[in-house]
Amino acid sequence: MERRVVITACAALTPIGRTKKDILHSLTHGISGIKPLKEDGLLSSHIHSKVFGTIDYPIEYDFKRSFRKTMGPVSFYACQAAGEALEQSGLDQQFITSGRLGVAFGSTHGSPTVQRQIYKTFFSGEEGSVRSIGAVDYLKSMVHTTAVNITKMFGITGRVISSSTACTTSSQSIGFGYEMIRYGMQDAMLCGGADEYDTTTVAVFDNLLACSTAFNTTPHLTPRPFDIRRDGLVVGEGAGALVLEEYERAKKRGAVILGEVIGFACNNNGGDLILPNLRGITETLQIALRDAKVSHQDVDLISAHATGTKMGDIIEAQAIHDVYGNRPPVMGLKSYMGHTMGSCGAIETIIILYLMEEGCIVPTLNLTDVDERCNMINHSMDVRPFNIRLGSVQNFAFGGVNTNILIKKMDG
Amino acid sequence: MTRKEIREHILQIFQKEFEIENPDLDDNLREKHEFDSIDAVELLLQIEKMLGSELTQEEKKQAMDIRTINHICDYVETMAKARGIDVSRD
Repeated sequence: MERRVVITACAALTPIGRTKKDILHSLTHGISGIKPLKEDGLLSSHIHSKVFGTIDYPIEYDFKRSFRKTMGPVSFYACQAAGEALEQSGLDQQFITSGRLGVAFGSTHGSPTVQRQIYKTFFSGEEGSVRSIGAVDYLKSMVHTTAVNITKMFGITGRVISSSTACTTSSQSIGFGYEMIRYGMQDAMLCGGADEYDTTTVAVFDNLLACSTAFNTTPHLTPRPFDIRRDGLVVGEGAGALVLEEYERAKKRGAVILGEVIGFACNNNGGDLILPNLRGITETLQIALRDAKVSHQDVDLISAHATGTKMGDIIEAQAIHDVYGNRPPVMGLKSYMGHTMGSCGAIETIIILYLMEEGCIVPTLNLTDVDERCNMINHSMDVRPFNIRLGSVQNFAFGGVNTNILIKKMDG
Repeated sequence: MTRKEIREHILQIFQKEFEIENPDLDDNLREKHEFDSIDAVELLLQIEKMLGSELTQEEKKQAMDIRTINHICDYVETMAKARGIDVSRD
């Protein structure tokens, strides 16, 4: 049994806004969400990169204590986005709790803020410090904290998938959710990912010399995917949630259909855990096309992973060229908000849906002088009307994990 | 320490830590106020602070059947007495 899978709702919290209107405004006006790195009293002073894709607008959470008590910051983001998506979907409570709705949601490593607090308490040296680690700290910080806090808050009783594959976390969530529905295991899936403000992740990439450092005093000028002056990625925070649903069911209940997931690929480079791999990435893009049963000529727009690292962008450009030639426009959306880690795949998918509906494409921000080693593809350089019938969302993670989601605009 | 002081302290904990305001002393906390096993463990940490001494694993297990504020006060009273703390009735 292979069923069609459509997207009936989405919501995002990003460094460039949280509503469709705000996000599109930022994208079409070249507004960056990159801000100075905040002092955290621990790592920030040791990190060379002083920029971060920051959510700096207030979010009013209306969560009861019985929900809040097991939530770290990452789950607040996740539950907020998930709640907005569920509300938008119009799914009724009976279905939500029926067991036919599952959750596929993850984060890079749970809540580092809570983990940091645990270690701070542990190493404080104060008497009884171990015992003062709260009973809920694990629930707040564990890797699947986002997924299960969502199930608890909304009473969801279906399958739980909680990917934690860094940059491919939420694209895996969408892909695995799509497969759950496609093969009849669930009728709908609430999919996505989140990551909170965290300097640990920045420190890791900083030590690997992968972070941007040349624009510390001008944060809005970095990251610069595919640009000759790019000098690394910028870590960010955010959340994205999408409701995926079996097509016939969605149609029958009169749901608004935002798009259709027609293909998904996930593979591994089978080797180095850090270096980008042309063969592995190229294969990912080809698998997705085969899964969707479409030709490379059918794809109108590519949302590249495009983190702004020296080698990653070159390898990705080569892979895109090998599969698509230089025809479809390529956008690097991280140029606006940084690398929102576990949420990037979901956020980038949501933006594709927004652009599909809006009928336009946007440029890769800060791409003013294309690196000749990335120049073999068709870079999106400006805002312009564009009919996106089929969009591709590409994400690649440490560990050699690659994903590709193909999203089709619904006819009519 | 008096029974009244224990009750007031417990009610303060419920207000501050669990956002449960003025529960009836015989309310079933689980059914009426969504006080669950996670809260129970948190409460034990607060009781340890209140008593100024660590509860043993056995003592903690005894608390798992507690359902009301009055039960909690009984429990604290018992634990206090076991530590040589004099508890007078109101």
